[in-house]
Amino acid sequence: MIDVCDLKTYYSTGFLCRTEVRAVDGVSFGIKKGETLGLVGESGCGKTTLGRSLLRLIEPTGGRVVFDGTNITALSRKDLRRFRPRMQMIFQDAYASLNPRMRVRESITEPLRIHGLEDRAGIGRRVRELIEMVGLNEEHLNRRPYELSGGQNQRVVLARVLALEPEFIVADEPTAGLDVSVQAQILTLFRDLGRDYHTACLYISHDLGVVRAMSDRVAVMLKGRIVEIGPTADVLDRPCHSYTRRLVAASSADRGFSRPAPCPALPGSPVMVEVQSGHWVEAAAR
Amino acid sequence: MAFGISVTIMFVILHLMPGDYITLYLEGIYVIAPPEVVLAYNQAYGLDRPLIDQYFSYFLGVLQGDWGYSLSYSRPVLDVISEKLVWTLVILLPATILSIIAGIAIGAYSGWRRGSKADVTLLNGMIFLRAIPSYWLALMILLVFAFYLDLFPLGGYVSLSALDTGIDLLDVMNHAALPIFTLFFFSVTGTYYLMRNSMLMTAGEDYIVTARAKGLDDMTILRQHALKNAMLPMVTRVALQCAGMLTGSIFVETIFSWPGIGMLTFEALQVRDLPLLQGILLMDTLIVIVANIGADMIYPFVDPRVEVGSDARA
Repeated sequence: MIDVCDLKTYYSTGFLCRTEVRAVDGVSFGIKKGETLGLVGESGCGKTTLGRSLLRLIEPTGGRVVFDGTNITALSRKDLRRFRPRMQMIFQDAYASLNPRMRVRESITEPLRIHGLEDRAGIGRRVRELIEMVGLNEEHLNRRPYELSGGQNQRVVLARVLALEPEFIVADEPTAGLDVSVQAQILTLFRDLGRDYHTACLYISHDLGVVRAMSDRVAVMLKGRIVEIGPTADVLDRPCHSYTRRLVAASSADRGFSRPAPCPALPGSPVMVEVQSGHWVEAAAR
Repeated sequence: MAFGISVTIMFVILHLMPGDYITLYLEGIYVIAPPEVVLAYNQAYGLDRPLIDQYFSYFLGVLQGDWGYSLSYSRPVLDVISEKLVWTLVILLPATILSIIAGIAIGAYSGWRRGSKADVTLLNGMIFLRAIPSYWLALMILLVFAFYLDLFPLGGYVSLSALDTGIDLLDVMNHAALPIFTLFFFSVTGTYYLMRNSMLMTAGEDYIVTARAKGLDDMTILRQHALKNAMLPMVTRVALQCAGMLTGSIFVETIFSWPGIGMLTFEALQVRDLPLLQGILLMDTLIVIVANIGADMIYPFVDPRVEVGSDARA
């Protein structure tokens, strides 16, 4: 579905002496249709930049993103716009990602128009369908974002994204701002919908528990690079990179899990090493 | 309340000012004013009464709509002001409206295209414009457009031919062009700054990024999502600007000899016509208060999050 090859996004800051920040520094991975890839890493490691660069909401400095056979990094702005509805993004702050002037109904209707649904009755029916699908009811349609709670707003965002029927979603910590019970509801909803629609998803989070529950595979990011990637259970239960080990140890310590099992020995030279089928680790920094 | 306080403060400050109308007026007639003549004048105008007495009679008068009697015009203050206010509005309204529209349009564009060549050029141009002392700019405009290029009249509000033909709209517009232009330049920079900043904030919001991710084109996002949200701070600005321009027009009117409130202020100040001066300042105060109340009343209509008199839900 989506193939990322050597993606780089650099920022340069400073006016006189320019310094380059390598937010995303040569990242490669792929996500299959209907698969969820969890992306974990500490804050500031480039997770969000990576998510946005994939959709070209931030222009990447180099590398390729191939979406459904099309190299979107090479598309012109106009062609890219036609691709946009097929890949969507969910932000951490649902309230901020809804236009405060728009009622819920308008927010959900707008993407339907983009999707080419024109007739009023059809739009009305679809909007009601969507709002019920995310567990809200018609009464909420006439509210504005400030009249809804954080969890309700995130459901609205979800309905709005689903209205476009995207094939790929980047979810940037969509539950980080919510309390635990609401978080669980949203996650369940998210997972069920992902299953129904066969959407590919990049799920960005720093919460290993959430990632474990949500994703089929996990990628661990450190300082702009992916240092370990593989099936969720493999990576989180048998972490091989020293950073992943620390990450897992830190989160399992306060959850009462056992410490991770030791990792099999790795051969030295290449950059990424396959320790088990589909489980790759950056060897250099191990 | 605010009105009462400002009446008091104005009364005190204006009476602290050195010089008085009678002395200045009599100096035009005598070399040194004879004390008995001064006394006679003061008695005639009631200026010999204790200040506190004058204050209370003025305060009560103001509340009843009697704003006093202009010494230099020999007419009620309200009459003089309302006559001049019309002329001020002739230049003030177009200048304010133009500067608001232009400021919003240019500021929105500049903020939306942040960092582009157009934005940088506009921003630096506006900073430059803002840094020019306004009275100097007014003089230069007068000098270049009226004197050297001879495109517009040097001053006044009608030409001499009005004595025969009556006041002609086109003629007035021709006279008003330069003052309007100058006033416009003074206020457009402020509106531009505010709008640009406001747009920068809005353009960084997640819902704008989302709109872009949905595949809307740039102009639709600007029109449907960004512009209205960025315009909110403008409501307050516009209200205050209406009031601020009134005082800002003092030197513009003086330089272009435009017979409005601004020039009236200048005249009243020169001859120490205190009742008139008080009346003008009172008028300014009233306008500021009304404009602020107006802005507060309009806010709920433009921003659904604000409701007057009810606790907004967080």
